[in-house]
Amino acid sequence: MQPTSSMKEEFLQKWQMGLQIYRPLIDNTSVSERMKAIKLSADVAMASLRRGTTCWSRALIQKTATEDNFLVRQMLSGIKAETLINKKLPKVMCHRKIVRRSKKILRRRKSRSAIEEVAAKARKLVNKKTQGLRNVVPGGEFMSNDVLLIQETLDYIVSLQTQVNVMRSIVDAAEAGSER
Amino acid sequence: MDPTGVSGARSNGGGATREATGLESLHLGDEFRQDNVGGGFTALLELPPTQAVKLLHFADSPSSSSQAATVTGIVPPLHHSYETLTFPSNSALLMERAARFSGETTTSSVPSTSSVKTEPADETNSSQAAVNNRSGKRKDSDKKTEILKKKKNKSSEENEKLPYVHVRARRGQATDSHSLAERARREKINARMKLLQELVPGCDKIQGTALVLDEIINHVQSLQRQVEMLSMRLASVNPRIDFNLDTILGSENGSLMDGSFSGTAMQVVWPHQVIETEQSYHQRQLQQPQQWPFDVLNQRAWGREEDQVHGNDSANLHPNQVKMEL
Repeated sequence: MQPTSSMKEEFLQKWQMGLQIYRPLIDNTSVSERMKAIKLSADVAMASLRRGTTCWSRALIQKTATEDNFLVRQMLSGIKAETLINKKLPKVMCHRKIVRRSKKILRRRKSRSAIEEVAAKARKLVNKKTQGLRNVVPGGEFMSNDVLLIQETLDYIVSLQTQVNVMRSIVDAAEAGSER
Repeated sequence: MDPTGVSGARSNGGGATREATGLESLHLGDEFRQDNVGGGFTALLELPPTQAVKLLHFADSPSSSSQAATVTGIVPPLHHSYETLTFPSNSALLMERAARFSGETTTSSVPSTSSVKTEPADETNSSQAAVNNRSGKRKDSDKKTEILKKKKNKSSEENEKLPYVHVRARRGQATDSHSLAERARREKINARMKLLQELVPGCDKIQGTALVLDEIINHVQSLQRQVEMLSMRLASVNPRIDFNLDTILGSENGSLMDGSFSGTAMQVVWPHQVIETEQSYHQRQLQQPQQWPFDVLNQRAWGREEDQVHGNDSANLHPNQVKMEL
């Protein structure tokens, strides 16, 4: 599924709204501060497109809220902002470590056969990869379900592509304009 | 610039889906014949060849040989189940795939669509299976599958509208509740992995779950890096531009993107609309709440600028920017 033009439009609108908030601070001369402002507003805009339906969007909003609470509150007007920002981390994360440790202990007792070993290695590899995916996708550590993880990844990739497309065209326009 | 990129990506996506017709796209080996004990992804490794996992809808559709009928038969139940999903962007794609798959021979299995449905009725299926297990001590699961088939066939019409997943057991496979549930779950994961493969360029040729996941991770990381690079570039551009520019672009694009988004048509139409929007800025029907502050802010911003050249630039910016296709 490719990003639709309506998605791009909505993202652009929301991103601008976020940038407007930074407009009075336009005199931050440092490039890194401006970059942070741009990136944060773009991230929140992307996440707000999903209106809290997906796990990654909620996690992303929470992450940016730790960096710039004001921005998030302004961009997500309404009750949603409060509930999203104040949500605590789910407790699933703790359990996974315990489960993993206990699995390791159990594994030592298992009998090995040739086929089993190969399968076990393959399984381990796949598990490692899913853990890697969890690290990359925002909020991935809280998705205990693999099905949910893939679903979120799909949605996240599509949103990222919208974000990249819109940002790229704006940057190209800006650079072309400033070359004159 | 961008139109070619976007249309290229779209055609790639289309080509990829055409390639992944059968369900052998993941091509996971048949070498590991063991019972899966509930590992998540690792279940994928034990997926037997996709020969006979027929789901109820398509098993019964041979009666109605026309493909259009199958498509319309699929669409209503899909609509039902999608309301329960919190994944709106996927529904269009899955419906499209349903249409495509139903166009193929009926022997080809299509778990992707109905595997998206919730599976509360696995219990009912498994209870049926359990009853069969207990009543007849038949070792041949093939016969069990036939019984299940008959029972499902009777209740097929009633079940069509319910979000149930009906999975027929293969020969030699256990039909107890756990493995049925596991199998349904595996089908779900497989279906979504396939969608991911189509989305990520260059993934459909890879065989093996781990490598596919690798590619996906790389793709996500590269996208994230691109976002950072782009925001860095935007920030290093003249600061007055990047905050003003958005207002200009946004208001124009908001109105211009309402029309069709075909590449060639756009480039013809845009020059006209550029002139129009510059003059009839106020008269334009924009749905953004920030419409009127734009004018005020723009004028103030431009008045503030001491740079004469920059003032000229911003006037000249319009044709250039607008020609860029989003």
